Amino acid sequence: MAGAAAAAVNRLGSAGSRMESVSRQSRTGPGGAVKVLECGVCEDVFTLQGDKVPRLLLCGHTVCHDCLTRLPLHGRAIRCPFDRQVTELGDSGVWGLKKNFALLELLERLQNGASGQSGSSEESVGGYGESIVRCDEDEAHVASVYCTVCATHLCADCSLHTHSTKTLAKHRRVPLADKPYEKTLCTQHQVHAIEFVCLEDACQTSPLMCCVCKEYGKHQGHKHAVLETEASQIRASILDMAHCIRSFTEEISEYSRKLTGIVQQIEGGEQIVEDGIGMAHTEHVPGTAENARSCVRAYFSDLHETLCRQEEMALSVVDAHVREQLIWLRQQQENMTILLSEVSTACLHCEKALQQDDCRVVLAKQEITRLLETLQKQQQQFTELADHIQIDASIPVTFTKDNRVHIGPKMEIRVVTLGLDGAGKTTILFKLKQDEFMQPIPTIGFNVETVEYKNLKFTIWDVGGKHKLRPLWKHYYLNTQAVVFVIDSSHRDRVTEAHSELAKLLTEKELRDALLLIFANKQDVAGALSVEEMTELLSLHKLCCGRSWYIQGCDARSGMGLYDGLDWLSRQLVAAGVLDVA
Amino acid sequence: MVVQVWLYFYCICLWRCFKFIVRKLTGRCELQRICYKNKPGAGRTLKLESSLKSSKSKLLQSAVAVHPEAIEKTIEDILTLKKVNVDTNPQLAVSLQACLLQIVGYRNLTVEVEKLRREAYDSDNPQHEEMLLTLWKMLKPGVPLEARVSKQWCEIGFQGDDPKTDFRGMGLLGLYNLAKISKMEWEMKKFDKAIGYSFAIVGINITDLAYNLLISGALKTHLYNVAPEAPSLHHFQQTFCFLMHEFHKFWIEEDPVDIMEFNRVRNKFHKRILKQLQKTDMALCPHFAASESLVNV
Repeated sequence: MAGAAAAAVNRLGSAGSRMESVSRQSRTGPGGAVKVLECGVCEDVFTLQGDKVPRLLLCGHTVCHDCLTRLPLHGRAIRCPFDRQVTELGDSGVWGLKKNFALLELLERLQNGASGQSGSSEESVGGYGESIVRCDEDEAHVASVYCTVCATHLCADCSLHTHSTKTLAKHRRVPLADKPYEKTLCTQHQVHAIEFVCLEDACQTSPLMCCVCKEYGKHQGHKHAVLETEASQIRASILDMAHCIRSFTEEISEYSRKLTGIVQQIEGGEQIVEDGIGMAHTEHVPGTAENARSCVRAYFSDLHETLCRQEEMALSVVDAHVREQLIWLRQQQENMTILLSEVSTACLHCEKALQQDDCRVVLAKQEITRLLETLQKQQQQFTELADHIQIDASIPVTFTKDNRVHIGPKMEIRVVTLGLDGAGKTTILFKLKQDEFMQPIPTIGFNVETVEYKNLKFTIWDVGGKHKLRPLWKHYYLNTQAVVFVIDSSHRDRVTEAHSELAKLLTEKELRDALLLIFANKQDVAGALSVEEMTELLSLHKLCCGRSWYIQGCDARSGMGLYDGLDWLSRQLVAAGVLDVA
Repeated sequence: MVVQVWLYFYCICLWRCFKFIVRKLTGRCELQRICYKNKPGAGRTLKLESSLKSSKSKLLQSAVAVHPEAIEKTIEDILTLKKVNVDTNPQLAVSLQACLLQIVGYRNLTVEVEKLRREAYDSDNPQHEEMLLTLWKMLKPGVPLEARVSKQWCEIGFQGDDPKTDFRGMGLLGLYNLAKISKMEWEMKKFDKAIGYSFAIVGINITDLAYNLLISGALKTHLYNVAPEAPSLHHFQQTFCFLMHEFHKFWIEEDPVDIMEFNRVRNKFHKRILKQLQKTDMALCPHFAASESLVNV
């Protein structure tokens, strides 16, 4: 059966017309399996190599090499014998066409399978070799005709020879290929041929029966069908199956082709490309792996470049600072030298005056007093100067998160405090500024205060939360490094409003890189929402996705939590590890 | 610093010695001298107040905090203590009493205002609610209020849907003041346009300003000049109305770009008012129509 299926795979293109030959072949039994993969043109069995190698045409039909060479050439192309579709031939002609490897593989497998499985049929098949039927008269001859009356295989010579008599000459002899099938005889009733098939389930192991079995034997009274119709039904179903297998093989080969393509896409490599004038030349096509690598390289070189630039900028800032500082110090040095010389001149004058006689001393008195006055003034200036400026060789350096360098004890940060009216923005601001609880009155406009904390100097802009003021918030966004959003946790009804305002804020372009600190204020009020509840209600994880944010519970009245919030801000703004420099 | 402290004590001692000598020479005590030298009003009352406060006598010190009804008794005590002959100085007792009334009145006013401020607006209190609704009727006659909590409140300058939240800092004091000013012939429309339709919160802010002036004692000058007897809440509200009026004028003078400059203007205004109040003969509202009757001290 497998043989028949394989044959069908090969010849589905002309299935209907080939039906007969298929059935003929399948009757040869398992031993004939290897012979069934035959060329649709010459009907010769395909071989793994040589003239009968199966080759694929562009249309998908398979024809043996031999037949292909005999097909008429139309310029550089040949036409498929089945559907007349044109296949272009390359320089190597028919040799350039691809072999049908799927078929070859199948063929090979069938051969192996047949040699292993058919032990009993070995004799009958093995004796004659693969496809050669010996003459019954003489083992040395090869049979070419079949006598339907004598049921013998004969070669042409022997046929003439044995059927030379008048009676025998009337025997109908047909070419071996058209040899009618032998009728199989019933195993129990040797004289009767099998004519029926039993349809009972119990008899499926041995369903064949002759007329005697049917009428009197073990299949008496069983449902039955005529052998031929049953066989043709089975053939049809096999044909269907073969069709399925064929499409399945196509799918597999399509898929493996795709895999090859993908591997090639990943690896990249040389590809033959034809240019405008038809000259083929190889060209390097980069694979996706290479692309990915170059992408990574580009990213890191970019990063490297940015870092270098930032380093240069930072160094230039330090240089400028050092230069300025040195210039100033030199200036001071010079000033001191001048002062010193002036003082010593004054001393000299005084000494001189001392040595002079009384009259001259009296005369010089005015001058000396003037001198002393200027000296005194200078001394005062000097002490003031010394008081105001501590001379310090240290250069405190801090780095911001965006790798800018900051010199000096305090780093300045611009913060905007926003929120609904009555959330406690102003209260928080003044609590931070003066550590006192201010009477909360509605803020009209804004308040601005600077708050120093650790080595940071926050400039906090507190903008009124009134409805009509909210559109004006955006004037305070520019250059803002952080937004402090204050929410009244005791006022559950207004959380939705706060949420919509916050969502609006987060879409602002100017605030794209700003840090977001959310103060859940009024935690001291009984029944206030906890930080977790607030996070949930505002769906902060979703809302603030992709930016650095933090929610801090606080109470502006006592100041609880405010500095924790500032701590977070400073941690975010200053690169790690340098916070405690000052 | 040490020098300053020393100088301070020295001055006090010296001042005591000077007082003693003058007393011996003229036969008049300090209170008498103040009363005779100064015209009635803030000048006299302020000097008297500081004199009483820095006095070493317990009686004089406690006189500024005495109950209004006990004033006459206190005056008698003071006169006995200072050995002043009532017959020869009939005017002194009257002057002293008037001054003391003002001083005590101011103190009580402070307490009263503070109490009002601390009383939070309560939505469950029908009195409070009624006052708020009256305020609406006064400011928006003919326009019905759709609901107690409504966007309409923004029209008269509250921040949100419920005015309650805006009274958190100034409590009922803010509401009283707003009600007061809304009752006056006030050019609401003009005012509204100038400060961006924020009448209510501007009112509350100015209430805060007035409250701070009162608590810091800066309003003494004004109130002592304005109120011949004890200053009362009525006077405070008059002052508030005047401040609103002045602030409005000041705002127009300053001509700021937008409402965002409010705090700057407010601080400038505050400084100006403080400067005005430093002059002892200054009454804030000499030509203010509403307080005309009070100016003629």
